[in-house]
Amino acid sequence: MASCNECKSFFSLEDDDSMGDCVRRIVDPRQAYYQAKPVEADNDSSNCASFQKK
Amino acid sequence: MATTAKEIKEFEEKQEWWWVAEKTRSSRLDYLRKAVWKKGALGGNYAPGIEIDLEFPELYTETWQENEGDPIMLRKAKSIGNVLENLPIFITDQSQIVGCVGSAPHNIVSYWQGASMINEEIYNEQGILPQPEEKSLERLAALNEYWGGNTALDELAKVLDPEDAVKFMSGAIGWGTPSSAVGYATKDFRHIGKGFENIIEEIDENMERTDKLLRGNPSPDLLPLYDKLPRWEAMQEVLDAAIEYAARYARLARIIAENFETDPKRKEELLRIAETCERVPAQPPRTLQESIQYDHFVQVVVRYETYEGAMPHRPDYLHGPFFDKDVNINKSITRDDALDLLGEHLIRTYEIGIFSPRWTREGLQGITGTWVWTMGGVNEDGTDACNDCTTAYMQVARLVRIANPTFSFRWHPKVKDELMREIFECIRHGLGYPSLRNDPILVENAMYWHGHPLREARQWVTQSCMSPCPPTKYGCQPFRMASATANCAKIVEYTLHNGYDNVVNMQMGPKTGNAVDFKTYDEFFEAWTKQMKWLLNILVRTVALGRAKDPEFFSRPILSAYYERAVETGTDAVDYTNGERGNAWVTAFTWVENADSLAAVKKLIYDDKKYTMAELIEALKNNWDGKEEMRLDFVNNAPKWGNDDDYVDDIMVQCLKTTAAHGKEIKCVCGNNIPILPENVSGNIHYANVVSALPNGRRLGDALYDGGISPGPGLDKKGPTAVLKSCGKIDHVLDGRAFLLNQRLSPTQLAGEKGYQLWKSYVKSWDDLGMDHVQFNMVDDSTLRAAQKDPEKYQEVIVRVAGYSAHFVDISRKTQDNIIQRTVQGLG
Amino acid sequence: MKCVACGFEGPVDKFRYLYNARIDASMSMRQCPKCNEWNAVDELKDEALEIVNPGDAPWGKSAGIEGISA
Ligand code: SF4
Repeated sequence: MASCNECKSFFSLEDDDSMGDCVRRIVDPRQAYYQAKPVEADNDSSNCASFQKK
Repeated sequence: MATTAKEIKEFEEKQEWWWVAEKTRSSRLDYLRKAVWKKGALGGNYAPGIEIDLEFPELYTETWQENEGDPIMLRKAKSIGNVLENLPIFITDQSQIVGCVGSAPHNIVSYWQGASMINEEIYNEQGILPQPEEKSLERLAALNEYWGGNTALDELAKVLDPEDAVKFMSGAIGWGTPSSAVGYATKDFRHIGKGFENIIEEIDENMERTDKLLRGNPSPDLLPLYDKLPRWEAMQEVLDAAIEYAARYARLARIIAENFETDPKRKEELLRIAETCERVPAQPPRTLQESIQYDHFVQVVVRYETYEGAMPHRPDYLHGPFFDKDVNINKSITRDDALDLLGEHLIRTYEIGIFSPRWTREGLQGITGTWVWTMGGVNEDGTDACNDCTTAYMQVARLVRIANPTFSFRWHPKVKDELMREIFECIRHGLGYPSLRNDPILVENAMYWHGHPLREARQWVTQSCMSPCPPTKYGCQPFRMASATANCAKIVEYTLHNGYDNVVNMQMGPKTGNAVDFKTYDEFFEAWTKQMKWLLNILVRTVALGRAKDPEFFSRPILSAYYERAVETGTDAVDYTNGERGNAWVTAFTWVENADSLAAVKKLIYDDKKYTMAELIEALKNNWDGKEEMRLDFVNNAPKWGNDDDYVDDIMVQCLKTTAAHGKEIKCVCGNNIPILPENVSGNIHYANVVSALPNGRRLGDALYDGGISPGPGLDKKGPTAVLKSCGKIDHVLDGRAFLLNQRLSPTQLAGEKGYQLWKSYVKSWDDLGMDHVQFNMVDDSTLRAAQKDPEKYQEVIVRVAGYSAHFVDISRKTQDNIIQRTVQGLG
Repeated sequence: MKCVACGFEGPVDKFRYLYNARIDASMSMRQCPKCNEWNAVDELKDEALEIVNPGDAPWGKSAGIEGISA
């Protein structure tokens, strides 16, 4: 089972590598931005369409 | 292709200021301005692509449910903490200021703890649910099921007097929510500016001291102390969460810089964002960027607590010293760099979007809230507080051209000519702002009505659109206006119909007698006075109870941490016993209809005896149908306010003085006075189908006058001096808290240097007559009609609606026509 | 009264009263119950005069010195 910490978008916290941010670039009809969403490192990513192996 | 100076000149000559702005602003501001989503409802609906944020209420509710046993403030603080620590955040390309309410740029938010009726409205709102809609409806249903019957307003409804509640909620006599769930609060920036870590330390000391007392000799004095501890804990919790929220931005900026960004200049900017967010709001700011970022975090974070629909604020005063240090003294950044920061400050504020129920959307068309920033004015010692940052805000406002926030300028005799020119340029460019406020008058007014000491009164900020409030330890006002908003045209309506409301079909006001039986105008006016008192009393009573119960039903941990007096006493900021002086007022919507209607009754019924009262009442009940000639007689042959005609002006002054006397009898929860403040936002449109036909000649359905003490559109036929003279008969200190005056000027007449000089002498007359407010629209009929015809081409045309500005194409046709029909005054 | 757009005829009060853009003019806007078009109506004569489209202002310009801005 793949998990978030194997994904290119995952950046772990410095003081706690069980947690991190999923950082993705999003381009909407008006602007481009980076979004960070807190995720757990061992979060099951098998259903995540944006998963990209590190 | 670069625009040439010649092309820009052509745009200027054609007064197409939006093109001038677009062609002259920096590429960063151009990108950011075009990138920001429009979050105000457009003619009642949200723009395509706008979505309600569901993660926010879910995170909030999850923690709320887990902490059922906690005292409300602590429970709420933990819920907000979960949101600040876990809601997705984002950084827009090219941006330097970060922080938004909502997890994506196109999101608007709402507060499920506030009001079930708003929650239900979201469920039924078309087009704002994230896709797939079915899944969103499930999520909403779960939220609504949990909160249904348990929101702050549900709790309040249980304690309100049932008759008062029905009348208050009828929508006929006033608006507003007697809860912090929808409101606005002054911020005590001198206290907040210490840095959140220092406030946390202060709270630590207070808790330690209290802890010691609680372990000492038992005494009844100790009992209230037990409740303070969890409140202090709650304040610390939210301050910590806010620091963590900023740290998350710092982390994201570093991740982007180190992993994604290839442009070295942008990398540097991202690292500066990271350093800034590591510094503020934990510590006091040191640079302009830190100062603006601090300010923005303060405003954003509090909007995770509640819908704050106004932004009492003095940014030039706050950021001026940093602007001067960075730009003029150390020269660490250029003036253009600084303009980019200030411009982005406006844009980031415009980006904040909060869901509004339909009745608010009609009353505040095209915007999220009335975010009126106060500029200029004086220092505590009376010296001129205007600075280079004031000038820079005026310049950058013309470059970014947004409708919210807008500026209110505290004019005083020492304001320099250079700055007045900048202000005039903003007005000439059609922004509709800044509005001018007469500082000496309003300082005196604040002392007269609420007893604010001189040095505090001199620091005033605009609490919402219009009312001044000192942002000081005991001056800060935590709860909307702490009183109410009255639909005042109902006073004369109920006088005519014995207190009965023919629109909502119920006995609303007191039975003051059948108007047919009133033998004299004085008897008629006596009934008017009773209806006026009843209206103010019922609204103030209801809101006062809501205010008193608010810490129990809603609670404000963040605002409490922002208030020195709350931090010191371990109380909720809204708790009226913690030393607040009181700064309440009643916003008087649809006020001038009273003067014009009373004058028409006096003239045509009692003086000239041209019609009987029975004939008038019959015509009004039939909405003037079949009585067009009679209606026109009431419009054209009875004196109208705004023409320097003592007949009607005396009536206006009599109405105001009678109401002001009552304003000294009724008291707010702090025991202070409650003056009225005539202004409308776009309540004149909202109430068009709520106020029945009136003796001034309007029908049910017609827009009411645009408000404050502005004459009826097109009825001020004697020119601007006559308008000023009428308005000058009002005592702007003793007769009320403030008086809004809309004036429309001709862009053609006021072109060039001659135009500036004409306007400046107008401002002098305005000051000579002792008036407290004026604001200007300066866009001609042909541009506005063309915008109605071809809205796509005129997206950037801005107009002054009332206490706020809006993009013309975002407001309803009725409001548009109402604005166009305002008289264009020729100066000189 | 007869709708200018679709010819529907009926008493004036069958046409929903919308609003009067100028309180001192006898011209108001009423909506045809059949085709929903906005008719400019002379209230003194109970007569529909024209259809009001975006940008139209059959009641004329605003008061004051608007003339010099045109
Ligand atoms: S949520 Fe998806 S995209 Fe984000 S880190 Fe996990 S697997 Fe990657």
